[in-house]
Order: sequence, then structure tokens, then C-alpha cells
Amino acid sequence: MQLKTAKHFALHHAGLLVVLGILTLIFGLGTDSFFRFQTLGVIANQIPDLTLVAVGMTFVLIIRGIDLSVGSTLALSSAALGSLLIDHDQPVLLAIIAAVLVGSLCGAANGLISVKANIPSFIVTLSMLEIARGLTKLITNSETKYIGSVIEPISNPISPISFSPAFLFAVTVVVASQFVLRRTVFGRYCIAIGTNEDAVRLSGINVVPYKVTAFVLCGVFCGIAGIFHAAKLSTADPNAAVGMELSAIAACVIGGTSLMGGRGNVSSTFLGVLIIATLQTGLATLGVSDPIKQIITGSVILIAVISDALRQRWS
Amino acid sequence: MKSKYLNILCLIYAAFIFQWVGCTSSNDSPSPGTAESDVMEQPRIGLIMKSLANEFFSTMQEGAIQHQSANQSYELICNGIKDETDLARQVALVDEMVASGVNAIVIAPADSKALIPALRRAVQAGVVVVNIDNQLDKSIMEQESVSIPFVGPDNRSGAKMVGSYLADQLKPGDQVAILEGKTTAFNGVQRRLGFEDAARDAKLEIVTSQSADWETNKANGLTISILSEYPNLSAIMASNDSMALGAVAAIKSLNRTDQVKVVGFDNITAIQELIRNDIVLATADQHAADLAVFGIEAALQQLGDQNAELLDVQTPVDLITKETLE
Repeated sequence: MQLKTAKHFALHHAGLLVVLGILTLIFGLGTDSFFRFQTLGVIANQIPDLTLVAVGMTFVLIIRGIDLSVGSTLALSSAALGSLLIDHDQPVLLAIIAAVLVGSLCGAANGLISVKANIPSFIVTLSMLEIARGLTKLITNSETKYIGSVIEPISNPISPISFSPAFLFAVTVVVASQFVLRRTVFGRYCIAIGTNEDAVRLSGINVVPYKVTAFVLCGVFCGIAGIFHAAKLSTADPNAAVGMELSAIAACVIGGTSLMGGRGNVSSTFLGVLIIATLQTGLATLGVSDPIKQIITGSVILIAVISDALRQRWS
Repeated sequence: MKSKYLNILCLIYAAFIFQWVGCTSSNDSPSPGTAESDVMEQPRIGLIMKSLANEFFSTMQEGAIQHQSANQSYELICNGIKDETDLARQVALVDEMVASGVNAIVIAPADSKALIPALRRAVQAGVVVVNIDNQLDKSIMEQESVSIPFVGPDNRSGAKMVGSYLADQLKPGDQVAILEGKTTAFNGVQRRLGFEDAARDAKLEIVTSQSADWETNKANGLTISILSEYPNLSAIMASNDSMALGAVAAIKSLNRTDQVKVVGFDNITAIQELIRNDIVLATADQHAADLAVFGIEAALQQLGDQNAELLDVQTPVDLITKETLE
């Protein structure tokens, strides 16, 4: 069983693992420090927020939607957290619950409006991108809100494993989401809806709750990501995660999730996040100039997507 | 079924661990690119900049690279972020530089508060940290019980100098507008205060003061709105030259070049041309090319003498006008 799973996983993710391996090798040979355990910790503790957002995005992409508001939703949640902790002296637990709630409300609004009113989610979430960002600036008064060490433990590495609770949580979410996607009725319906929504509807299934749930799930993950983001910076930043939707979509696409819906894998998305993070850290450790960084990042995304497409064709 | 998912969990960790296989073999041999053994003794300095798409910061970095190649007494690793608001990336860069084993970090923080916890971690890891360009928040540093020296110009007096030069060309009661930088940035706030000081002294009326986030494009849109709202506006004081460029384009598009004067801050190349052609009145030069170098020198001094006191260093700011350019 173990061997079979390992083989299945390796085969399924062969292209991505090769890309990740090559990157690691290049950076490892090119620098003194990349193979250090500390570097691994640095990469791992950077990605929990992007991982959660990308997992949420995977669900939304699978039902043939898109969520452009993830970055703003994340920022709004962390602003809510910061405001409750600092301006209103509320307990940490309450602030955390509120942050998740804010995320889920944004997700619910995205889902209900786009599904019920039958408006493309691209447009609805584009509006939410602006609304949530505006609210964030309103709450924070467009200033960085310093929270301090109350929430820092969430993203501080636990010795001796050097991974933060946030990272461990994110990995657990990846595995749980993969299970939900592949092994539950909800997950299978999501894939079916993304593949052929009409067929699902004609077989007597009400697609609305499933589609809305995908958006809510994405919102919840953004809310948690907002907490992690605030914990990492010890601040609520009004400009947090600007443009994160693009990184999240890139991670999904690298992982082979189709923008046309119906195809996607949470574990591959996670590998996509890893590739992006490894690339970022490696290039920074090398001190590569900024334009070259962007060119290389774009090229690697392209290579990863092409290698995935080729693998699809061969199998 | 459950065990299968546990397996996948293990495999994901395994994929992660994959990243540092072979670490023993690579540590034994000197890596290519980082040069010979005699250079190994040299201190390594990580320069962490803001957006390198902004000429001000790329000039700063150029100056540092030239200084390094002229001196050869230290190793320099330069990094920047994609735009001025990418805080999370800059925090990550600090962690990455510490992990890569630099001896000192010279940083132009994108935010005067949010970077402090990360820099505190760097200091605790034994890295010398020097703050350039945008001064870190004193009270937060106290809360985090860390002290990081600031090596840089006094932005407030610099902005006041530019503002006063502008005021000399206007008369009391004239309307002016301020384009602020990021409201989260200390130097942005200082420049606004400096402009306000100058306006108050000369009894100019500040009709509006808004942030264009340091960006040309945002400044352009904002200026168009301001100009249509205040038809009698006499001048725009932009907190950096990038925004001054945006303001100039907006003024041109509304054909009001003769009525509205513009001043900036930073003295980038593009603005010099406009100053020579009387389109922009003045800017301030805080010697961008040397700013990072000042910071690097402070860091080297600290590395040379661990007992040296960490003191703020004030670097010069000069007024740039058509006369000084000739």
C-alpha cells in the first residue's frame, strides 16, 4: 500500500518534482547556504498564507470559477484581527474567530452573488477585490497597525523542527483538502460541476450549494491566511497581499489545475507553491538582479506548465 | 483510505525534505560563484532595497555595487522587492539573508513598523543591522527592545527647503496641493511635514494633501482630479520625483503648465531634464548613490569594532534648481 501510494504520487507529480529538484540542485550548488536546514525553515515559514490561499483558489477554479479577491480578503481579515486586538483590546481568540468570519463572509458574498445572480465570478470577485481593500484601508486608517508579539507564536518556528505552527497547519489543510476533493461527495460533485455543470444539473442535483461552498471555503482559507500573514509581520498591513491572487493562480496552474474547471489537485497546487517559494528564496540568496529574477520566474512557470501538459499527453 | 492520506502527508514532507538532500557533499567543496578561500574571510553584507523599478533605489544600489568593486573588502548581495508595498517579501528577504549567513544587513525598509520584528530576529542572530532611507519607528523598536542605527538624511528639513524655494516664487494665500508618499512610510510623513512647515511659514494655503503611494501613475490620476477640483491651484509639492513626473504629465494634459508649478524630491535623472526646461521648479538631492554606501560603511565600522556605539548618522540633503544644475 505504502509503496503503491508512493509510486502513484511520484508518477502523478513527476514533472513538478523534477522541476523542484532541478531548482534545488542549481541553488544548492550555486550558494553556500541553500542546503542549510535554516534555509528550508525560512522557505517553509514563508508559505503558509500563500498555500492556504492557493488551496482555496484550487477549489474555486475546479468548479470553473475564479476568485480575484483573495489578496484583499486576506488583508481585510488581518485588518479585522489587528483592529480588534489593538483598537478594541479584545482577546486573541475572539480576534482570530472574527478574522476567519470576515474571510468566510467575503467568500459567501462572492459565491452567493455570482451563483444566484449568474454573474461571472471574475466580475464579482474583481469588485470584491476593490471593496475589501477599501474596507481594509478604512479599518486600518491606511496605516500599518503594529500588533506586537501576541500572535507571533503562530508563525515562529518551533524548535527543534524549525517549522512554524502555521506551516504545519497549512500542510494539514493541504492533505485534508486533497481528501475532501478526491474522496467525498462534495469534492466529486465539485469536479463534476467544473467538468459539465449542465449534466450535473440535469441529473437532478442542485449545484448552487456546492458552488457557493467552494467560494466560502476559499474565503475561510483567506481569513486564516490573513491571521498567518499578520502573525508573520506582527502587523496588520493595509497593503498586505496585493497581487497575491496572481501568485495563487500561478501556483494552481503550475500544479496542473485547469482554468476551464473540472481538473485540479490540491497536492499539486502545494508543489506549485513550493516551486514559487524555492525560486524566490534561491534567487534572493544568489542576489540575482531584479529584471533577471522576473524573467526567470516567468520562464520557470512556463516550463512547469509545459512539462505538466506533456505528462498529461503521454499518460 | 485513511492510511493512504497519511502516506500522502508523509510524502509531502518527503518532497520537502528532498530540498536539502546532499547537503553534506556540497558543504565540503567550495561552491562555484562565491569564489576562493581568501575571500571567505571577508564580511558578507546583504543590501535589502525597496522597489528597484524606482530609479532612486536602483541608483542607490548602483552606488553600493561600485563601492564594493572599488574596495573589494567585503562581499555584497543585493535584493529588492517588486513594488514598494510588498512588505511580506521584504520580511522574507531579511530571514533569507540571515539564513544565508550574512554578517550585516543594510536595509531600506518598505514600512517603518512591520520590518522591526524581522530585524530584531536578525540582530538576535548576531547580524549587524543598519537602517537607511526610511527611518524605523522609535517607539516600536523600544517595544521590541531592539536598537537599530539610522544612517540617512533628514527628510523633513529637505522637504522644507524645497517648499520654501517654491514659496519664494508664490505669494501668501496662493493655493498649493501636496502629493504624499505612502502614509505608512516614515520618510513620506517627514516630507509632508516639511512641505507643511514651508507652506505655513510662507502663508500658502494647502487645499488638499493626498497620497499617491509614491507612484507616477497614481499621481497622474490624482493630480487631474485635484486640478479640476481647484482651478486656482498654483503649485503641487510632490513627495518624490516619480510622483512629480505624474503631476507634470497631468498638468500638461490639461494645458495648465504656465499656471501650476511643481516641485519634487530625490533628484532622479528624468526630473533634471524637466528642471532645465523650467517645467519643474526644484527638487532635493539626498545623494541617492551614496545613501547605501553610507549605510554599508557604518555596518563595516560596526563589524570592525563590535564595541562601537550604534549611533544615528545624518547625511546631507541639497536643494536642486535650474541654477545648481548648470
